[in-house]
Amino acid sequence: MARYGMVIDESKCVGCNACRVACQNQNNLAPYEAYNHLEEREYGAFPNYNREFLPVQCQHCDNPPCVRVCPTGASHKRKDGVVLVNEDKCIGCKYCIAACPYNVRIIKKEGYIEKCRFCIEFVEKGETPACVTTCMTGVRMFGNLDDPNSEISRFITKHKLKQFKAEINTQPRIYYRKA
Amino acid sequence: MAEHDYLKGLKISRRSFLKASAMGAGAFVLSHELLDFKSWVHAQTEAPVITFPTFCNGCGNRCGIIASVKNGRLWKIEGNPEANGNLGVVCPKGHGYLHDLYNPQRLKSPLKRAGDKFEPISWEQAYKEISEKINLILMDKGPQSLFWVNYPQSNHQYALRLMHALGSPHYFTHGSTCYTARNAGWVTTVGQLPSNDLSNAQYILIIGRNPAGGINLGQVKCIVEAKGKGAKLVVLDPRHSETAILADEWLPIKPGTDLAFLLGFINVLVKEELYDKKIVSEKTVGFKQLVEEIVNYPPEWVEKICEIPAKTITRIARDMAQVKPKALIHRGYHGAFGAQYLNSFQTARALAIANSLLGNINRKGGIYFAKSALLGELQPKHPAPEFPKMGKLDGTGVPGRYPLGSYGDGIAHAIPELALRGELKAGFVYHNNPLRTNPNPKRVMAGYKKLELLVVIDTVLSETASIAHYVLPESFYLERDEALDTKHSGKRAQVSIQQQVVKPLYNTRPGTQIIIELAKHLGVEKYFNFNIEEANQLRLKPLGVTLGDLKARGVLFVGENWKEGFDKLETPSGKVELYSETLKKLGFPPVPKWEEPFVSPDPRDPHSFRLLHGKQAIHTHSMTANQPYLMAISHRYDMIRLWMNRLRGSQLGLKDGDWVKIKSTVGEGKVRVRLTEGLHPSCVWLPSGYGIFSKHLNTAYDIGLNYNDFLPTYFDPTVGHSMSSEIVVNVTKA
Repeated sequence: MARYGMVIDESKCVGCNACRVACQNQNNLAPYEAYNHLEEREYGAFPNYNREFLPVQCQHCDNPPCVRVCPTGASHKRKDGVVLVNEDKCIGCKYCIAACPYNVRIIKKEGYIEKCRFCIEFVEKGETPACVTTCMTGVRMFGNLDDPNSEISRFITKHKLKQFKAEINTQPRIYYRKA
Repeated sequence: MAEHDYLKGLKISRRSFLKASAMGAGAFVLSHELLDFKSWVHAQTEAPVITFPTFCNGCGNRCGIIASVKNGRLWKIEGNPEANGNLGVVCPKGHGYLHDLYNPQRLKSPLKRAGDKFEPISWEQAYKEISEKINLILMDKGPQSLFWVNYPQSNHQYALRLMHALGSPHYFTHGSTCYTARNAGWVTTVGQLPSNDLSNAQYILIIGRNPAGGINLGQVKCIVEAKGKGAKLVVLDPRHSETAILADEWLPIKPGTDLAFLLGFINVLVKEELYDKKIVSEKTVGFKQLVEEIVNYPPEWVEKICEIPAKTITRIARDMAQVKPKALIHRGYHGAFGAQYLNSFQTARALAIANSLLGNINRKGGIYFAKSALLGELQPKHPAPEFPKMGKLDGTGVPGRYPLGSYGDGIAHAIPELALRGELKAGFVYHNNPLRTNPNPKRVMAGYKKLELLVVIDTVLSETASIAHYVLPESFYLERDEALDTKHSGKRAQVSIQQQVVKPLYNTRPGTQIIIELAKHLGVEKYFNFNIEEANQLRLKPLGVTLGDLKARGVLFVGENWKEGFDKLETPSGKVELYSETLKKLGFPPVPKWEEPFVSPDPRDPHSFRLLHGKQAIHTHSMTANQPYLMAISHRYDMIRLWMNRLRGSQLGLKDGDWVKIKSTVGEGKVRVRLTEGLHPSCVWLPSGYGIFSKHLNTAYDIGLNYNDFLPTYFDPTVGHSMSSEIVVNVTKA
């Protein structure tokens, strides 16, 4: 079975938000519902200045706090590594929102909690997540971490990558290449 | 809760679900995956997805897209990987703007003004009344009193044909507020506007252009590709643009002094003999005169003008010369020298000359002439109208007025003056909104209101539509078959087509159909005896591809591949004109010469700033601000703010997010500030795309400011462009 993961190359993100809207369309979200967001950071003083955008979405943690606190089992971790919310089991208590250190869960207009699903229904049909395919600079890479020959596996072995907030031991399945 | 309790709640598909899962993945997975039952149901009951290749209308780039329709409703778009302009990707505007299809504020039928309101009327009544009024005006004032202005669409040639059929020369684009200085600079130097071979360049210098913000997807993809191969990217821009994020080096130049930088750059190339000697001797004219002028601009002098260190200018010139001809200075667009400063035309000239000295004209990794698809003509089957006998009243191409102006673009922001003077009496505005996108809206409104007849063709009630006598609702771009296009031509020409994805929701019609029907009512039907299908077929004929193939693929490559080098350019001398006899005759400097910006902020006044503007990746002109998906981003990230250098802000006692009042000679307004280290201290920067004042656009109304509110009406002496960064504003804490 595949075990999915993602690489985000922070050095390439120009903050355009195409990923946000492509994801909203793919998942039929409302204008204010977004599964990913950007954190802009500025460095230095004029004229020696730089800024960068950090794209953030559900990290599909292997040790997911949202799953631990969910009282109904709605938030769950699948064998293939993807963390999902079962909307029928979700009672909208928001424990997971409080527990998630990445601030990526939203309350949907229908009342349940949702977040990035790694476009899993589409991935299972052989497609690639919408945030990956729409990006003009190729910030994201998605694939099977268990396949040593996948593009993403080869990239991970070649580059020094970091996990976001690795120190809190959430064991994210998204790996960041720093700017 | 035990799993079997959960299963009790399930209805119809439980049995088949259990069966499928058990067969597919085994019992263990079954129990695990049950929790995801709903998504499985979604997948199984999902309606079939039908896809259509077409092109986007979220900005002027007209990117190739594949639109997906589910249950008769538009679902999403993806990039067409074969389209040269966007290479398979889509920007946020493309994804967001498609929702305007279902915008409840869309125009649903033709409208006629009745006092302060509009009343719906039939198409037949609209055409009849409009044509009666136009025919009266034509009889009374002559055909030159009629105009058409549009933001270029694939069908613009039919609008031009209609104006010519009626005898009017007055077809306008938005060019004079956007790019006419850049175009003229290139045309007078190398004979045409070239493209950038970014992906093969080893050194890319971008001056003012921001393809990652004023998005050009193909260019950004090519820059990333070049960088992946080790190319260096340097961005010269007063603001740390989105493209600067990708750059190896950001050089915050003092606004309005890009010409000085280029003169210094050329000075180094000449003084150190770093230029391509073979190209200069064989393919250029006027090198001697260039040298005579350029000695005046050593980098040490330039440093004082543009605040870029002399040694940096020298280093960049040397490094670029080292890898020439695979070194290019981006051809530019709006930013820095499209229609910005009094010196923009000379800046474009200097930029074209600097590239030429690098020997990169029509070379791999340099500046190149894109291949173009030679579409077929509608004649002889459908005879073309005669070219109008009289020139344009705006003075484009007229010696003594705007001699280098582009006749094809005209000077659209002169329309209000011509209307106030009574020279223009009636006009059509199609897919354009001059009340919001032209300088000094009070003046624009006064001009357009003076017209005896204003007809606006749009999908919503924009500012301009709001004051029209008649509004004709165009079908949304995803609802209509349209003219084919060659916009995506690059190393090989490409032809593309816009086609209907969903049926029109309302009583709207495609732009070309509206033009043809207007022509019939106006008595010039003999030039419009075709429909869009036949016109597309005739135009495609010489290319050796069928309309069926094109409709199936959305884009097709046609013609030969690009080749390096050139024999003869389309300039009077056939060579690169470092020195231009044409310019001399017209009384302009024949070789580029330093020229100060027209106005500059007072360096002793802490409240005095130059007002710059630029695009954000999420908005196009004034047309996307009302789109909730895109405006949600503006709010979420507080992007409506005015950028100001942090030090200058603190001198005014400002904190990040504070409200300020900005005031120029023509307007004032309030906005919040973003204090940043990423902006030159002499200027403030306002994102364009906000400041919507049409009350019919709920999402965007009264949010943010627009630079046009502060811009006096200018016409530069070369091409008549709007000099849109020649604004000094006074900024105070509100």
